[in-house]
Amino acid sequence: MDDIQKQTSENTELIPQKKYWRSLEEYRNEPEWADLADKEFTQSPWFEEDIENFEKESGEGGWARREFLKLMGASLALSSFACVRRPVQKIVPYVHAPSDIIPGVANYYASSWVHRGEVYGLVVKTREGRPIKLDGMSLHPSNQGALSPLAQAQVLGLYDPERLNGPRKFDPKNEHPFRRTQEPEWQDLDKDVVADLKKGGVYLLTSSFASPSTQSVIQNFSRVFGAQHVSWDPIGYDDVAQGQEVSYGQNIVPRYRFEKAKMIVTVEADPLSTYQLPTEYARGFSETRRVNKTMAMLVSFESLLTLTGMNSDFRVRIKPSQQITVLMGLAYELVVKGKKGAYAQDSQALKTLKPYANAAEELGIEKALLAQIAEDLWNHRGESLVVAGGLATRTEAGLSVQIAANFLNSVLGNDGTTVDYRNYIPGFGETTSSLKSLISKMKSGQVKTLIVQGVNPAYVSEEFKAVASNVGTLIYMGDRLDETGHLAKYIAPDHHHLENWGDAESAPGVLSLQQPTIRPLYNTRAFQDSLLTWAATKDSSLKISWHDYLKNQWKKHASGNFEDWWVEMLQKGTLRTSFVPSGGSRSFRTSALSQVKSVSSDGQQLVLYTKAGIGDGRYANISWLQELPDPVSKVTWDNYAMVSPSYAEKMHLKEGDLVSLKVGDKNIQVPTLVQPGVHDDVVGVALGYGREVGDIAKDVGVNAFQLVSGDVYSGQVVEVKKLGKNSPLANTQIHYNMMGRQIAVQASLEEYMKNPEHIFHHHEVFSVWPKHQYPGHKWAMSIDLNTCTGCAACVVACQSENNIPVVGKKYVLQGREMHWIRIDRYYLGSPSDPETVIQPVLCQHCDNAPCETVCPVAATTHGPEGLNEMTYNRCVGTRYCSNNCPYKVRRFNWFNYSKIQEPLNMAFNPDVTVRSRGVMEKCTFCVQRINFEKNAARLEDRQLKDGDIRTACEQSCPTTAIVFGDMNDPESRVSKRFANDRTYKVLEEFNTQPSVRYMAKIRNWKSESENHHQEEVGHS
Amino acid sequence: MIKRNVLIAGNKTYHDITNDICQPIETLPGKGWFAYLAIAKTILLTWIICLVMIVGVGLGLLGLSHPVGWGTDITTFVFWIGIGHAGTLISAILFLFRQKWRTGINRAAEAMTIFAVMTAGLYPLLHVGRPWFAFWLLPYPNQRGPLWVNFNSPLVWDVFAVSTYATVSLVFWYVGMVPDLASVRDRAKNKIRKIVYGALSLGWTGTNRNWQHYEAAYLVLAGLSTPLVLSVHSIVSFDFAVALLPGWHTTIFPPYFVAGAIFSGFGMVVTLMVLVREGFPQMKDYITVDHLEVMNKIIMTTGMMVGYAYASEFFIAWYSGNDYERYIFLNRALGPYAWAYWIMVSCNVIIPQLFWFRKIRRSILVMFIISIFVNIGMWFERFVIIVTSLHRDFLPSSWGMYDFTVYDFFFVFGSFGFFLTLFLLFLRTIPMVAMAEVKPCLSVGREGGHHG
Repeated sequence: MDDIQKQTSENTELIPQKKYWRSLEEYRNEPEWADLADKEFTQSPWFEEDIENFEKESGEGGWARREFLKLMGASLALSSFACVRRPVQKIVPYVHAPSDIIPGVANYYASSWVHRGEVYGLVVKTREGRPIKLDGMSLHPSNQGALSPLAQAQVLGLYDPERLNGPRKFDPKNEHPFRRTQEPEWQDLDKDVVADLKKGGVYLLTSSFASPSTQSVIQNFSRVFGAQHVSWDPIGYDDVAQGQEVSYGQNIVPRYRFEKAKMIVTVEADPLSTYQLPTEYARGFSETRRVNKTMAMLVSFESLLTLTGMNSDFRVRIKPSQQITVLMGLAYELVVKGKKGAYAQDSQALKTLKPYANAAEELGIEKALLAQIAEDLWNHRGESLVVAGGLATRTEAGLSVQIAANFLNSVLGNDGTTVDYRNYIPGFGETTSSLKSLISKMKSGQVKTLIVQGVNPAYVSEEFKAVASNVGTLIYMGDRLDETGHLAKYIAPDHHHLENWGDAESAPGVLSLQQPTIRPLYNTRAFQDSLLTWAATKDSSLKISWHDYLKNQWKKHASGNFEDWWVEMLQKGTLRTSFVPSGGSRSFRTSALSQVKSVSSDGQQLVLYTKAGIGDGRYANISWLQELPDPVSKVTWDNYAMVSPSYAEKMHLKEGDLVSLKVGDKNIQVPTLVQPGVHDDVVGVALGYGREVGDIAKDVGVNAFQLVSGDVYSGQVVEVKKLGKNSPLANTQIHYNMMGRQIAVQASLEEYMKNPEHIFHHHEVFSVWPKHQYPGHKWAMSIDLNTCTGCAACVVACQSENNIPVVGKKYVLQGREMHWIRIDRYYLGSPSDPETVIQPVLCQHCDNAPCETVCPVAATTHGPEGLNEMTYNRCVGTRYCSNNCPYKVRRFNWFNYSKIQEPLNMAFNPDVTVRSRGVMEKCTFCVQRINFEKNAARLEDRQLKDGDIRTACEQSCPTTAIVFGDMNDPESRVSKRFANDRTYKVLEEFNTQPSVRYMAKIRNWKSESENHHQEEVGHS
Repeated sequence: MIKRNVLIAGNKTYHDITNDICQPIETLPGKGWFAYLAIAKTILLTWIICLVMIVGVGLGLLGLSHPVGWGTDITTFVFWIGIGHAGTLISAILFLFRQKWRTGINRAAEAMTIFAVMTAGLYPLLHVGRPWFAFWLLPYPNQRGPLWVNFNSPLVWDVFAVSTYATVSLVFWYVGMVPDLASVRDRAKNKIRKIVYGALSLGWTGTNRNWQHYEAAYLVLAGLSTPLVLSVHSIVSFDFAVALLPGWHTTIFPPYFVAGAIFSGFGMVVTLMVLVREGFPQMKDYITVDHLEVMNKIIMTTGMMVGYAYASEFFIAWYSGNDYERYIFLNRALGPYAWAYWIMVSCNVIIPQLFWFRKIRRSILVMFIISIFVNIGMWFERFVIIVTSLHRDFLPSSWGMYDFTVYDFFFVFGSFGFFLTLFLLFLRTIPMVAMAEVKPCLSVGREGGHHG
């Protein structure tokens, strides 16, 4: 080695080398050049030879390679110290597990809920001991598995943060402000209450009951203390009961059997949405509307646009003073002109009907039309139905309307078949007069102790509020402090209905049980227990818990061993699964017709009504209900004055303009809503708003109960004055014109029967790409627009099931409501008198989903079973998917809407992710339910069958408009529906291949000429 | 032979050029510059506050909603990216076409591009719902699968296009200025200045080899940047063209957007150059009225291309017979956002027609005003495209409006603060005219000069 080195070094010395120069400086070997040449490629802080140079020049410590590496290594290690893992949270299983609870497995309890006498059979889904979702009980003959929007929202009411958490004593005259509200123990409260009760003059004001056992408790209590029981509801059916009493001698509210009717005429009544038993009636209605030759026809006469009117085949606008004219006019056609029916010879009838010969003219319709309706009614006698009722008919002539309707039904022989008095509705008792007499007694000082339960008279009646101070002791027994509670001296809070025992009678003999589904959250006591406890101080036989009392009451229905039977009954929930057979007609007392009078008809007439989502306002503090777009107006969070487009034009009113409505000496100020379909001389206002208590309900809308006088709700003359200010309404659908696009299809029955394949345009689509293959299940949904009434139960059900947040009025104004399913509503024809088509729209789970291609992070993908999947964790929120969705079903979380607010978070469904800010969400076809059922089937080693998986919307729908299932199974309901010639896809021409297909709405028109509304509505 | 106008006025020598151009860097700024900087920084501050609020509280602070999911955020993003295209065109394409007049403006124009792309690049990151995860748009290898991005999505293409554009432009700009930075270094009296500019000039010694490498690199980078001028904004236009919305889904978008980008970019260059000339009067010799006139001609040309695109969109919408398409265009011209549409048409089509007149082309005041209108018009063009197509699409039940909030306003205007701050800082730290490129053009238009 050394040799070679020596040799080469020697060699270089010996061989002379030619030297080339590149510049004159080099040639001359200038010192500057030499310096430069030296440094050209070697000057570097990393070159160790240069360290000294570098140090000399820079004057500070240089970096060596090793030093550099040391520094890098150290900083890397240090930075990783800052990366701390998220703290580990442990889930610890129960040490002493409560029986029946397996974390992660739901328990279902059969129960009931009564809303103003309307009974719903419930199945309550509970997780870890708390209810999270309400569903209908399929065995219950009334709702048969469906629920209304109000019913679905009850679970949120259970977790209302403003519920009372224990007894209270108010002493407003106490000198120490902080001693004015005391929180006594139950025993102390009981002592004070009993002392007052023993003084006498006791009145018990409750809602009308559908619970026989509770009635029994009240009877006993009343007996013990000599108390008077006053049963009252702010909005009851007194008029119907009174009408029945006068007409047939029976003070009941009969049940309507829509499923047996082939020709239905409604006068102001809205049985599909707000009148009496909407869930039951909607189902019955859907059954009689099968698309075939015997499809039922619905004709509605109404002053405001209601859901029933939207679903009718013919609709005539009337004002309240014309209600009698309609009924009497039809009766005239039948009895006087046609000489038909059992009363054709009756002198009283003929006398009463004589003035109504020109009814058609007075109503502004063609004579032939009225005659046709009468003829259709007669042709279906025994199978027809005339329903008149609702707040719009509770005018000065309210009783007349009922008598007239009863007469018409009797003439048509409907009594006993479609007007089912044998299955009358026990929960609807006579009520309004009772509050009046109570108020007068309060005024005169007869009422020493007043117990109020389940009603809110201080909100509804100014008069009550005024005389409440005359009462010595006001005891309030609700579950949250409302307007009446604020006036009370003692508060003995009741359980929420989901925490309480009870029973409910839907029809005679149809009894269902109500059982607690959660241990009472707070220190509350069932009001039945309170009454029993107080009564037991005087009658020791009543020293029994409400639970045991209830059981005793049910002993008479039992067979065999009671305890076994009782457990079986708790599981089944209902005593009967069908109504008693109807039948036998009653004879109509024609003398009643002498009471029929008409009313004057000048000026703008007021019509008060209730919204499907709000009712009488007792549930106004449930945010889901406030944010539910009203099925007719699509407005949330407000009430308003509904006026017709012509009237609005006349008065230069546009949406949101504040107006003052003056009836007598009462005055309210509300924003305007321009609503097509309202009669030009009518102004409609919804009740149930303007609450004074409740974080959600407070100051939302205006209290229109002030405009009620006695039991007159509608028909009064109202003075409308424009105030010049504007208060925007949170309207979720501003545009109601389909612009000639094929979105919600409707056709006439005649057209459909003749040419079933030509009722809509079938588009040609082609694709160069092969389709997705679905070897297993392919989930799909069919929505039948013909049976969908637009009730919006599916919207609230979806909200409950999928933890959908509520955003509030401010953001609904911007269009940010979060509902995964929405009910679109389009008008056709003239703005004054339009036809309406309704269409629920949800994620269509397109095979060629436009949203999937454009998501940059692949947060939305296509599943192997046809679902368009949404991966919340991956979504960064670019919102391209929402922009590209032609159906606009995707909803973005603009803020952190799902902030945890105890105890409302207990209502969350643990199987569904709660989405954070910045994440997109949309309908998932209830994928949690799909997976659950698939797992269950696998565990039980069986096949999934059609109907096992029910999405939340499908489950709550009373009319089976929504059907979900496996398209790959030719026997499934969904496949059969898809094969139907009414089925079409929305926006088919864009080849999105949606898995949700719609079935065209069929209107029962005999020919196209009956379609009066050819032109398009001008859009807003 | 046609006598050309001088590219550099005022009978300069090479030394004069260096002095003139290095003077702003070597002297302390006067009150004027500080005043402008104060304004720019204030606007920048409002932008930062606005962005922090949006990231901290939520996107809901903007007026976006269903159905308008994109509004001023994406409008401004496309606006800034578009502006950047002019700089690259001047630097790269005009270089390949051997247009010597570009040398007076290419440094400042490319700076404008860099800063525009920086401003634009923040929008896609900050307009998403969860900006702390915005890095998921980048395809990086990971252990979750690996989970890649969705390459079908135009937003991913945007990521590639904009990052490529930013990188290449930055490298091109930087490489181009190395000799100039070396000049500044050599003139530096201050030790810190010498070190900083020394580091930045990468050891430039001005040897023949250095220049050879420089020219070669410049050519290669110009070649790389040229297709970017056409491709980047085409990719950005795919954000819309690939979607199926009427008004978005049209094949004219790539050339239409590129023309529009050049249009707005040149408008911004004219605006900036006029201001630079007023702020640094010696620059009037390097950025002459001739330079501005040529730019105005380009503005007018591309303006007419954009106008043609408007007309053809309308025609095709009618000709197609597609109801949805027809409605969108009628709605643009006559619906609730017609005001935006007509601002767009008057600013983009009508006003630039004034440039037919030579006097106007050469009038500093008028061209300044027109260039501002051009940019206003181009912002509104993107606004009209995005918002009118979104707010009324297929199902009338979901039609809505875009209600601006004060955050929308600051979201847009604040970006100008960012841009202007950077530009003002650039003017004082980096030679605003490319000395090394302008010096070879000294002889153009002079007696005895044979380089035409």
